[in-house]
Amino acid sequence: MRQAGTYSGILSGGISGKTGPHLLPLARIKKIMKKSGDDVKMISGESPIVFSKACELFIKELTQRSWSVTMQGKRRTLNKEDVAAAVMATDLFDFLVNLVSESGEATTPLEMDTFKSS
Amino acid sequence: MDENVAASGSNDDDGIREQDQLLPIANVGRIMKQMLPQNAKISKEAKETMQECVSEFISFVTSEASDKCRKERRKTVNGDDVCSALAALGFDDYAAPLRRYFNRYRDLGVDNKAANQDKANNDSNSNEDREEQSSLKFSMIGISKNSSMRPID
Repeated sequence: MRQAGTYSGILSGGISGKTGPHLLPLARIKKIMKKSGDDVKMISGESPIVFSKACELFIKELTQRSWSVTMQGKRRTLNKEDVAAAVMATDLFDFLVNLVSESGEATTPLEMDTFKSS
Repeated sequence: MDENVAASGSNDDDGIREQDQLLPIANVGRIMKQMLPQNAKISKEAKETMQECVSEFISFVTSEASDKCRKERRKTVNGDDVCSALAALGFDDYAAPLRRYFNRYRDLGVDNKAANQDKANNDSNSNEDREEQSSLKFSMIGISKNSSMRPID
C-alpha cells in the first residue's frame, strides 16, 4: 500500500517552489502558448511540460552558440550582440532574425565559417 | 522564410516587453549559466534578449502545432503535437529526446491514475490540482530511474 506521506515528502519539496521540478513555470508557458494565436483554444496539461524541456534545450543551444561568438571576441561577458550574431548564423533560428535586429542595433554578421548549421 | 517570421511575430506588442509574456529572467539566466564556464558573465540585455527569443520559440512552435490540430479537426494541442511541430520546424534534435521524455511521463501518469484516484475523491479536483498532479507525476521520472516504482511494461 503506497504511503501518501512518502511521496508528498519527496515531491512537495520540488512542487512547493514556483516551478516545481521543472526549470520553467508551466503556467507562464501556457499563457505564452495561448497568446500565440486565436485558434489556440485548448492545451493539454502535458504540453507545457514538454515545452519546458524544449525551451531548456533551446536556451542551451542558443547560449552555446552565442558563447562561441563571445569567445571569438576574446570576451568573458556574453552580450546581446553575441546572441544576435548566433541567431544570424543559424538557419534553424531564422524565425528570430527580426526579433534580434529590432531589439537593438542591427548587428553585422561576423564571418561564421566556424558555424555549420545543420 | 519571411512568411514564417511574419506568422510567428503576430504580436502587436513589438518592442514592448510585457513581463507576463516572458519567462522569468532568473530562470532563463540559470539555464544559460549551465552552459557556460564558471567565470563567464551574462549581460542583463543578453538575458532579456534570450527571454524574448524563448517566447518567440514557444509561439512559433505552438502555431505549428495548433495548425496541425485544426487540420485534423482536434481541439486540444497535446504533447505529441508539440513534438511533431518541433520536428516539422527543424528542431528534430529536440523532438526525439522529448518524445522519450514525454512517453515515460505518460506511462508514469497511467500508473499513477489509480494511486491518485483516492486522493482525487477527497480533494476538490480543480484545474490547478490537476496541473499539479501532472507535475507530481512528472517529477516521478527523476525518482523512478533507480527506484522500484518503475511501471512494469
